[in-house]
Amino acid sequence: MSSRKQKELIRAYYENKIGRRELLERMAKIGVGAAATGFLLNATATKTLAAGGPDFKKFKGKSIKLLMNKHPYNDAIMKNLDNFKSMTGLNVTSDVFPEDVYFDKVTTALASKGSQYDAFMTGAYQTWKYGPARQIVDLNQFIKDPKVTSPTYNWNDVTAGLRASDAWDGKAGSQLGGPGAKQWAIPLGFELNNIAYNKRILGELGIEPPKNLPDLIEKAAKISAAGKGYYGVGVRGSRSWATIHPGFLSAYSNYGLKDFTMKGGKLTPAMNTKESKEFHKMWIDMIQRGGPKNWTSYTWYEVGNDLGAGNSAMIFDADILGYFQNSGDTKEKGNLAYMPFTANPAATKPTPNVWIWSLAMSQFSKMKEAAWFFIQWATGTENCTFGAVNADLIDPVRDSTWKVPEFQKRLESYPGYLNQFQKSIGQSQIYFTPQQLFPEFTTDWAAMLQQMYAKEIPVDEGLDKLAAGLQRKLREVGI
Amino acid sequence: MADVQTAVSAGAKRKGISFQRALPYLLSLPALLVCIGILIPFVTAIIYALQRYNLAFPDSRAFIWFGNFVNLARDPAFWHTVVVSLEYTALTVGVELLLGLGIALLLQERNWVNDAISVLLILPLMVAPAIAALMWKLMTNPNFGVLSYLVSLAGVKDFKWGSAPSSAMFTVVLVDTWVYTPFITILLLAGLRALPKQPFEAAELDGVPRTFVFFRITLPMLTPYILTASLFRMLDSMQQFDIIYSMTQGGPGDTLTVFQVQAYLEAFSFSNIGRSAALVIVLWAITYALSTVFIKNWLKLRARAHGTT
Amino acid sequence: MNKGLLRRAIRGVLLLVVVFFFLFPMFWVLLMSFQTNQDILRTPPSLTFTPTISNYVALISGEIQTSVGTLPVYYMKNLWNSAFLSACAVALSLALGVPAAYAFARFKFRLGEDIAFTLLSFRFAPPILVLLPLQLYFQDIGLYDTYLGLVWVYQLITLPLILWIVRGYFEDISPDIEHAYRLDGHSWFKSMWKIAIPLARPGIAAAGLLAFIFAWNSFIFALVLGSSDVQPVTVGSLAFMTASGIQYGTIAASLVLSVIPTLVLALYTQRYLVEGLSLGAVKG
Repeated sequence: MSSRKQKELIRAYYENKIGRRELLERMAKIGVGAAATGFLLNATATKTLAAGGPDFKKFKGKSIKLLMNKHPYNDAIMKNLDNFKSMTGLNVTSDVFPEDVYFDKVTTALASKGSQYDAFMTGAYQTWKYGPARQIVDLNQFIKDPKVTSPTYNWNDVTAGLRASDAWDGKAGSQLGGPGAKQWAIPLGFELNNIAYNKRILGELGIEPPKNLPDLIEKAAKISAAGKGYYGVGVRGSRSWATIHPGFLSAYSNYGLKDFTMKGGKLTPAMNTKESKEFHKMWIDMIQRGGPKNWTSYTWYEVGNDLGAGNSAMIFDADILGYFQNSGDTKEKGNLAYMPFTANPAATKPTPNVWIWSLAMSQFSKMKEAAWFFIQWATGTENCTFGAVNADLIDPVRDSTWKVPEFQKRLESYPGYLNQFQKSIGQSQIYFTPQQLFPEFTTDWAAMLQQMYAKEIPVDEGLDKLAAGLQRKLREVGI
Repeated sequence: MADVQTAVSAGAKRKGISFQRALPYLLSLPALLVCIGILIPFVTAIIYALQRYNLAFPDSRAFIWFGNFVNLARDPAFWHTVVVSLEYTALTVGVELLLGLGIALLLQERNWVNDAISVLLILPLMVAPAIAALMWKLMTNPNFGVLSYLVSLAGVKDFKWGSAPSSAMFTVVLVDTWVYTPFITILLLAGLRALPKQPFEAAELDGVPRTFVFFRITLPMLTPYILTASLFRMLDSMQQFDIIYSMTQGGPGDTLTVFQVQAYLEAFSFSNIGRSAALVIVLWAITYALSTVFIKNWLKLRARAHGTT
Repeated sequence: MNKGLLRRAIRGVLLLVVVFFFLFPMFWVLLMSFQTNQDILRTPPSLTFTPTISNYVALISGEIQTSVGTLPVYYMKNLWNSAFLSACAVALSLALGVPAAYAFARFKFRLGEDIAFTLLSFRFAPPILVLLPLQLYFQDIGLYDTYLGLVWVYQLITLPLILWIVRGYFEDISPDIEHAYRLDGHSWFKSMWKIAIPLARPGIAAAGLLAFIFAWNSFIFALVLGSSDVQPVTVGSLAFMTASGIQYGTIAASLVLSVIPTLVLALYTQRYLVEGLSLGAVKG
């Protein structure tokens, strides 16, 4: 196992003399497995990144601290972290919190103005709070600076819709990623929302996968009524923003509906239009007839668990949620398939809302440049590819990674997954209107959904009430 | 007490009268200082409550004096919070008191069975309420939860536990009862055992019916204990956070948005520091009023007990 | 005789129901802790399964196997944090509270009742009232994410409780013995240390135990004011909800482990608990 031979092979790969497949084959011949190759490749690639422009060893011996969510993306980074450490000589420690309390933890940490954490995981929605609150750094200054960003970083390789979704200029009603937008975070891994279904159950009942929302409603009701102990379609229902942003908003947007519109230069709630009311009635009907029994307590975990345990036939939620249920030791492993979902019968393409796990930098960090090195590396091509192929950094945010043959091969045991991505990615973005009161509004919206579901209030009246309440809160803060 | 004072002053004459006068202050001062340290955040919270302060709008931070409180008073959601908190408190205290009293009466006699059971009953008290809520959430899971299964065997199909507005309050009161009834039981049990024997012996000799004995003798003598237990629990229930937040985060809908749950959401999810502070100040005012009543009455009862003992 | 027997039978049945209600959840969680995730997720639940100690092994060894590989687990550190924080908080409260309780009991001094009332009323301050400002400037005074900071904040829970109960105990003890001791020429300190405190031992033990339980069970303070270095078990138990699935078996095992320390402590001093709650708190 000559190490010189390995280095030769890798160099040949980088000089484009051999392709990736040939590299793997020849590495295997000299006894180096795929994962090890990936690691070595990454090590070399990291060196390539380092050979670029910036002096990555500038902060050798110093430390940075991360605040991370307990998530497979974090695990993927940790798996590859040694490469970063050897490239920069930095010590990296991280605090990991379970997702249940993670977001509140980040809010508290930033609010305390502590210099403890240098970088952290976040979603785009949260940056709508942290950005205007001046708690995080606009990363444009780093991306554009060749002194700190390697020329091989390739920022444009990150899918356009995702880059834009993490950028906002702070003015209510502005488009995400528009002119003057500040880059509050860098995408790390994302999820788009489609349908994952259980081939076995649908096959048993002789039902085809649904074509659109009305079809889904009928089929889900039929499945639940079959009396075999499983229900039709799983969707989230807890009293939080997490209920609104996955399947719900994806279908909502497919019908051309909006959360807010601009009227006379001011944001106005738009969930009580006639069409929106019709949509809400359909959605609630779907849950009542074909959804989970304890819907109001359903979070990501419950929706996923039910699919994996064979308690539900379909889910309309994050694609990676369905992905995880087809791995490991779940009961229904091997029975799941994935499809793009165009909710509106009158629409031609799916319009999934996306959730983007991203990395942001604390304004109070004392090691900003070092933190940027970390963010750059973690979201760089090499780590992205490593994570997608060797760990669970899916869905990768870089267009190039989706084209990597090993990654595509990996997806083959998830029928329809690659297809649903390719059909949806062009229209995948954040469909919310950015504004600072996002957490409060979506919580109110979810609470109202719960009330309408429990028939405590009729849909029309409920949505009018919700819109009026949100309107009042908007005026109170002057937007 | 006067004797000790004389003795103290006798010894103090050697050290000077000022020391004797200062002594109690010196003894209690460290405790006070530590708690005064907590007073500073309290004052700060009051300041926040008087401001429009939302972290996401750092430029709009300004004093609006009683604006937050006026907004709360005008908000039907706030009054709903008041009603739900009071409802929760009334239910938990009522149920736990009755249940606790009943169990204490059952365990009154001193024998090894009763003693063993009293020890076992301490167990739920050892479990952190947040963790107890987690336990009950697992047990009431509609798919694999053992309680859902048992209940379905009894013929009740699809009982929603914490997921439906109609049963959510029942579920959290159930968890609270499970955790805190032992506290009341132990308190009342100790009280029952400490009661003087004569009135009961006399009543038995006179052939007084048991119900009369219970209502006219036992209960009045137990009043101080009952008062302590119920007021202690009342104040804790008004401020309940762990159980409700762990189970439903205040849902479904607005069913369980009690004070501290709503304040937590306002502060840590919505970053609305001003409004959260106002909410907690209102809660504190309520608990302060109630605790004043309690402590004053406790002092009165104590004085009376000293007089009669 | 029949009536007596009937009464005894009803009493027995009722007691059985009571015991069942309070102990069944613990029993069930204990069962769950020995099951694998797949067994737990089975519908309907059953009592027959093959027991496994893998959940406990995962907690104690610090590694858990999930569908995405091995993840590190810090539960033992959380247990240690809980124990350390609670013990320190109680120790500090005893050191501060017992002398203060003695002062309130033995001396009638101006502002005495007011100070006592203030200290007691802290027990009823809503935690969020204190947390809101603290989370904003704990960092500035360097106490964020430190044991010291948390122990200090825990005093809110433990100090009033200890003060309250121990004061009642001191007042219950007749001052005559101390009086005699003082007349022999000993100082007030010796009198407190050698006479009063030993006599009040049951009350002090009860108060300490209760304070320990309440400190152990607190959730929100540690959640907001510390990082995972100082996290106690109440927050740590949430760590088993991972994005790739909830580890129910491990959660159950962690619940069982979290109860054991306080249970052991309580069993050891349960006699004092009953006395302490009653006499100190009420009769005065």
